[in-house]
Amino acid sequence: MLFNSLHFLVFFLLMVGLYYALPPRWRAPLLLLSSYYFYFSWRPSYTLLLAATTLLDYYSGVRMSRLGTKRQRRPWLYLSLTSNLGTLFIFKYFSFFRETAGALATALHLPYAVPALELVLPVGVSFYTFQSVAYIVDVYQGKLAAEQNLGRFALFVAFWPQLVAGPIERGGQMLPQLRQTHEFDYANVATGLRLMAWGMFKKVVIADRLALLANPVFNHPRQFDSLALVLAVAAFTGQIYADFSGYTDLARGAARVLGYRLVLNFRQPYLATSVGDFWRRWHMSLSNYGNLLIVFLLSGLWHGASWTFVVWGALHGFYLVIENWSAPLRARLAQASGLAASPRLHRALATAATVALVAYAWIFFRANTLADAFYISTHLFQGWGHLHLPQLQALLAGLGRHFVAELVVAAGAVALLAAADYRAERGSVSAWMARWAAPLRWAGYLGLLLATLYCGIFGSSQFIYFQF
Amino acid sequence: MQKLLLRLTLLLGTAALLGGLGIWLGLRRGYVDAFYARFAAPPAGSLVLGTSRAAQGIKPGVLAARLKGYEGPWLNYAFTLAESPYGPGYLSSIQRKLAPDTRRGLFIVAVDPWSLALPNDVKLGDRRFSKGRNVIFPEEKSMVSQVASVSQNPNLDYLAHYLHKPFYQLLLNTDTAHVVERLHPDGWLEIALPPPSADTALLRRRTAEKLATYRKLAAGSSFSIERYLNLRGTIDLLKQHGRVVLVRLPTGPAMAALERQFQPDFDQLMHEPGVPYLNYLDQPYPTNDGNHITRAAAEQFSLRLAADIARLNH
Repeated sequence: MLFNSLHFLVFFLLMVGLYYALPPRWRAPLLLLSSYYFYFSWRPSYTLLLAATTLLDYYSGVRMSRLGTKRQRRPWLYLSLTSNLGTLFIFKYFSFFRETAGALATALHLPYAVPALELVLPVGVSFYTFQSVAYIVDVYQGKLAAEQNLGRFALFVAFWPQLVAGPIERGGQMLPQLRQTHEFDYANVATGLRLMAWGMFKKVVIADRLALLANPVFNHPRQFDSLALVLAVAAFTGQIYADFSGYTDLARGAARVLGYRLVLNFRQPYLATSVGDFWRRWHMSLSNYGNLLIVFLLSGLWHGASWTFVVWGALHGFYLVIENWSAPLRARLAQASGLAASPRLHRALATAATVALVAYAWIFFRANTLADAFYISTHLFQGWGHLHLPQLQALLAGLGRHFVAELVVAAGAVALLAAADYRAERGSVSAWMARWAAPLRWAGYLGLLLATLYCGIFGSSQFIYFQF
Repeated sequence: MQKLLLRLTLLLGTAALLGGLGIWLGLRRGYVDAFYARFAAPPAGSLVLGTSRAAQGIKPGVLAARLKGYEGPWLNYAFTLAESPYGPGYLSSIQRKLAPDTRRGLFIVAVDPWSLALPNDVKLGDRRFSKGRNVIFPEEKSMVSQVASVSQNPNLDYLAHYLHKPFYQLLLNTDTAHVVERLHPDGWLEIALPPPSADTALLRRRTAEKLATYRKLAAGSSFSIERYLNLRGTIDLLKQHGRVVLVRLPTGPAMAALERQFQPDFDQLMHEPGVPYLNYLDQPYPTNDGNHITRAAAEQFSLRLAADIARLNH
């Protein structure tokens, strides 16, 4: 069930209506039931997988809570880790490792025959296993009391707003909220709905439109060079942010309508002044685990079982190493050039450089193959001497006959997102809007809804992060 | 809660009103896409079926004007090779589109080897039947197979799931003079490309591209008994509602040669169902791309088809 589908709209309205109509003690069971239905609607058989790993993690947590030392708890930790990481390995990484080993064996002229597993990746598996692993590690380390209520723990793992693409919640943040009853609260519901409307705008107006520009190039990169490649990379840079943060807004908004607060996942990442700063603002619920290793190679692999993701993670790791190493040198340069005396200009330049580096790395994230990624990353800088009209025509073909109108809509929507991010950097946008005169504020909401309805690209476009 | 509900009702109500008004205007005056009008038309008494060759090559309006005595409304309900090859999805859609009380309809069933072929690596289902394999038809998830309400105006099911352009563009598509593709209310798909004679190099390029696509198709697929059985099922269904005529539309000479090579016994096979079979494969009508006849040729061909069907009646 996609958040940008009619199916979800009906589900959400029914769910919220029932939720507040039921007595408080029935609300958590309803949430659990609806969460499993939500997952069931993707692929029924994988609901069993979710239930099985949940049961094992719950049992491991409960058993660990009854044991005094880490040494006594360790077998249960290993059992849970084996179950979670094993699931992840079999469903997500087996084919990748099999193919890599196969290629290696072929190169070394060694006999190699490991059968392929024709498994479909369970949606959101990286998210819920990571959340479960974090929980079990917290319990093992004694940072968190194990949840003794199976239903509550199952809801912690399967809570539908964040089940398939996060944000990844820590037990210490989410479980206490699951123990409370949540009465109807106007402010919560209104804030949640506003977030959802904004998230939907970002997804169907910005992300899915920019995808039309990026896809033709990333799918056939060898037909393009220079300007077309740069435009496609820029389009994907906007698309991935609008897509993932749009999903997160929808998830956080839906949870907020039900009275739950999910963690912030994005804090204006494209206003970061360094790559390190970017990672403190992007997918914060993953990157806040603070381990650089995760940010580097593992983060790459977490995103996808492909060498393109590994290179993407490694590239970010490389950026961070260089950034740390060159910090004194850059500070001296800023002083010498006088940039240090113009902090705004310095900041703007630092932001531009960061976005350029991040955008360059997105090439590896989006490219279909490593060869495509290397082609794009090297041909960005070639062929700038003359304008290739056929390339630009091919690039714009995805936007259809009304490509000028589409470009205007895209530019307007991206400008709105940039303005909102710029405003958010100086304080809450909601609080700022609350100071507007009521007619103006409501006209703004109406404008957002109409813009989404008229300019949204509806259909069946999945959120990018659902594949992880 | 009442305060919120009131405000939401006001906000969403205004948005729905303004949004609905624009969409209504767009659907009334604008243009949706190459398929929508067929799903917004009322149930039909007489149908043109097949793939894109029939969609562009047969004008129901011409047939209706020349062939009296058949029940209307007339509709060209042919789509594309990917959407409407003969199979359970298309058959079920035809069933839904057909006006149930029709007894004297005319059904032009356009056939060619491509609409009766399946990829060689087609996936098989779990069950086995005595006739043919239990194949998973590639078009199973396609729009024609999936749209449940095929005679609804406005067709919200279609708009919600298959409209792949933003609604505001419906309002921009009102200039009929400068569009290449236009689906008429009777289902005929007009492709207004410049006449091929104006640019033979362009025609050669389009023809070469089309042939390359079909050569690849020929190499990777073969005649399917499962599709043939579904064609027979379609004919059996339609016979209960009127007259069925199988038609092989004209195409470019190179495409015709490729088809003969791909399926040499095709014409013989088309005589088996026991309904009239009119073969125009080699008739010299100009094409846009070596496959689909031009819009002017569609008019001429429809006149010829109407005359030939009228002769069948005598």
